[in-house]
Amino acid sequence: MPIDRKHIGFSLPPFTVLVDRDQLRRFAEAIGNSVHSDFAPPTYLKVIEGENDSSRAVVAALGIDLRRVMHVEQEFEYGAPIRGGDQVTVERRVVDIYDRKDGALEFVVVESAMRNADGVSVGRSRQWILVRNEIRMAPA
Amino acid sequence: MSIDLHTAPIGATIAEWTYGPIRREDLRRYSEASGDSNPLHLDPEFARQAGFADVIVHGMFGMALLGRLIEDHIVKQGLLRFRARFRKVIEIDQAIVCRARLASRAHGIADLSLEALTPGNAVLIDASATIELIVAGNQ
Repeated sequence: MPIDRKHIGFSLPPFTVLVDRDQLRRFAEAIGNSVHSDFAPPTYLKVIEGENDSSRAVVAALGIDLRRVMHVEQEFEYGAPIRGGDQVTVERRVVDIYDRKDGALEFVVVESAMRNADGVSVGRSRQWILVRNEIRMAPA
Repeated sequence: MSIDLHTAPIGATIAEWTYGPIRREDLRRYSEASGDSNPLHLDPEFARQAGFADVIVHGMFGMALLGRLIEDHIVKQGLLRFRARFRKVIEIDQAIVCRARLASRAHGIADLSLEALTPGNAVLIDASATIELIVAGNQ
């Protein structure tokens, strides 16, 4: 079933994330990096925006079956550096929904704006989610 | 490796690095550390229902490795923009080759073209990054 285009503009209530030093270290280790830095690595914006179970909340609000979802594209723009101990406020919004191949493929574009406690931008994220309406699901 | 982005020829490969193979256990660790709890990366039965033979590697795991290529091998500071397209599903138990080329350089800005590849040279991720050159540490 196609995703209702009324969801374009849907936004989650803003939430604030404390950038945890221990989690920064665990993230670095998970990508094989044993050199610990107090600064967040480039893709850590995705971790911050995904806090509060916000990615699941977007998918649920749009009524999308998680099994059909693929993350197909991701863009970050960077502002002030992020360090452990920073507080980052996240605003996430669905900015576009469109389809290809007669609706077999639908794309949802989700943007996040992130600011530190001084109100300075620490970055923006734009994510393209593919919803594969064409795949035949194996029985659950 | 130390690269001078001011003098490297346009089109040159400026960094290459191979990581992995990425194992099931690595996906559990990445899921926990990133907060991405999508069962596609953890639960083989869910992955089969979604149309895959087994769990697959997070696209963001691959993009994070390209981020390491930039930060560990090219520049520590000055990253303005970083974009990735996830071209193919990244299967587990294979190594990932990360490669960066200098795509263009003008007005104090360098554009990199990056790829994550299988050892057999299939493109898994293609990406681009924009770097400000006039930043302490990039000269």
